[in-house]
Amino acid sequence: MDRNQQRPRSSILDSLGEELIGILTPVSICMFTVVLLVCLLNSDPSSSSSFSSIATAAYSETDSDSPWDKLLGAFLNSLVFVAAITVATFLLVLLFYLRCVTFLKLYMGFSALVVLANLGGEISILLIDRFRFPIDSLTFSILLFNFSVVGVFAVFMSRFSILITQGYLVVIGVLVAYFFTMLPEWTTWVLLVALALYDLAAVLLPVGPLRLLVEMAISRDEDIPALVYEARPVIRDDSRLVQRRVWREQRSNVNDDDVENNVVRAEEEEEQRSEEISVPLIDSSSSSSRPETFLEGIGLGASGAIKLGLGDFIFYSVLVGRAAMYDLMTVYACYLAIIAGLGVTLMLLSVYQKALPALPVSIMLGVVFYFLARLFLEVFVVQCSSNLVMF
Amino acid sequence: MHRSFEIIGKVMTVAAGIGYALLALGPSLSLFVSVISRKPFLILTLLSSTLVWLVSLIVLSGLWRPFLPLKANVWWPYTLLVLSSVCFQEALRFLFWKLYMRLEDVLDSFADRISRPRLFLTDKLQIALAGGLGHGVAHAVFFCLSLLTPAFAIIALAFVTIHTFSMVIAFEGYAKGNKVDQVIVPVIHLSAGMLTLVNFASEGCVIGVPLLYLVASLTLLHCGKMVWQRLIESRNQSGPTLR
Repeated sequence: MDRNQQRPRSSILDSLGEELIGILTPVSICMFTVVLLVCLLNSDPSSSSSFSSIATAAYSETDSDSPWDKLLGAFLNSLVFVAAITVATFLLVLLFYLRCVTFLKLYMGFSALVVLANLGGEISILLIDRFRFPIDSLTFSILLFNFSVVGVFAVFMSRFSILITQGYLVVIGVLVAYFFTMLPEWTTWVLLVALALYDLAAVLLPVGPLRLLVEMAISRDEDIPALVYEARPVIRDDSRLVQRRVWREQRSNVNDDDVENNVVRAEEEEEQRSEEISVPLIDSSSSSSRPETFLEGIGLGASGAIKLGLGDFIFYSVLVGRAAMYDLMTVYACYLAIIAGLGVTLMLLSVYQKALPALPVSIMLGVVFYFLARLFLEVFVVQCSSNLVMF
Repeated sequence: MHRSFEIIGKVMTVAAGIGYALLALGPSLSLFVSVISRKPFLILTLLSSTLVWLVSLIVLSGLWRPFLPLKANVWWPYTLLVLSSVCFQEALRFLFWKLYMRLEDVLDSFADRISRPRLFLTDKLQIALAGGLGHGVAHAVFFCLSLLTPAFAIIALAFVTIHTFSMVIAFEGYAKGNKVDQVIVPVIHLSAGMLTLVNFASEGCVIGVPLLYLVASLTLLHCGKMVWQRLIESRNQSGPTLR
């Protein structure tokens, strides 16, 4: 009855939605860093070198081609890229089926080393050149070597500090995404849409490679060998909520496109297993009252570790980075669209409780918002604000 | 690379750019760090309200696209523009509030289920504040951050204040059924929009901008008074639940 006795009890608002923020923060940091790099390193268009990779194998865009040629060339490029990714994913599924786990781990470590040392070194050199930072080559090579080796250990070993592992995963995502933004424009957009469709097919179709991978991993009760970002699991005091974490942990496998030129497979950390709750209550009275499942549906109810593949980070950042090459307004529009798509995907994840592709909704929303912003929004806002009319 | 910079046609230094951006967004940044970043739910509210504002802007720009670009130095089409935009955004604000009421019910029953206290009054005010801040930040980013000049930054600061606090007033007004609060928010929004039209006249911004700040401080005062009354009221209440 006494009001004062209720004051010390914390409101539910204090901790609701923590896991969503735990995933949104690294995604935002990755996107922000890529936008920053694009703004810093692309300021003079004269130095834009063409980036030749497997994604431009079929056709390299030049400024003098007609739009139809560019579109056709972009289609061919995306087709080649998606075909390469499909082949590589099936290879991965085969290796996982034959239990060549050691080989996969070694390959993952090697690829992390290549990304951090090669791409990281290249970007560092570009940054040093841009800012005229005085550093000699010996110091630079020692620093780069240390940085790369620690990164390899961080994604390789399971007993590493989770903050450093998360940081290195974000750095790998940023590096690969930045290099993908250097693809020609039409190719980038068509490639993103093609990858979103591929992701949808690979995870949801019965013959899709990623679905096979997930089913194998679940049936063997092993972890999927991939570079996956895991948000820090939330530890609660309530024992009922704590047991829900196990349940959620096993069903939250947001899988998606994790085959890349450079991104490789890795063993999932054992650390999350050891951090599991020591009170494995099986609460069978999980009655689904409507508001409860709604909140769980939007990912705010239960506490658990949400996992997001590194490919998602990379392609979200590629979209935002490409938007940054046009204007800041499109960046903001695409950022909000991607975050909204990610929220929708997490909602669907809680409802369907199986592996879902994280790329399609966000990429589609992002592309739609980019073109809407570019075609409609920019004219409108510039019209208004150049006359200082605002509302 | 940034096409908008071509319109201004001057070279921006990084320090100046950061300065203008902070001018417009400084108070909202401090609000964010002190109030909103502590509760994850408020960050989600901020992101969703920013999205709602962006969608409203896209719809408006889609509707007005056939009529743009408007002739230079003709000011009456802009009146229509501002009028239609404000009406649309106020209607959207009402829908936003409806959605929020449903979410509030869900949150309250969730709190009952896990035997925690229901939403306090301060919680609801904070959610409204986060919603308003989302609108304000979206306004600042879209109208100011792409064309960073001191004029835009100053006007954006006024609008951020107006958006942030009028959302609090609006939510409380709709919840209590208080007609004064319900009417004052669209009036404030409309008058602020119309005041920017004054900028059309040469040297108009000398009159327009201080009047805009007057409107912003009126919003701030009204919101503060209302919140203070509400808090005193709830403290004097004898019941256990705060409403």
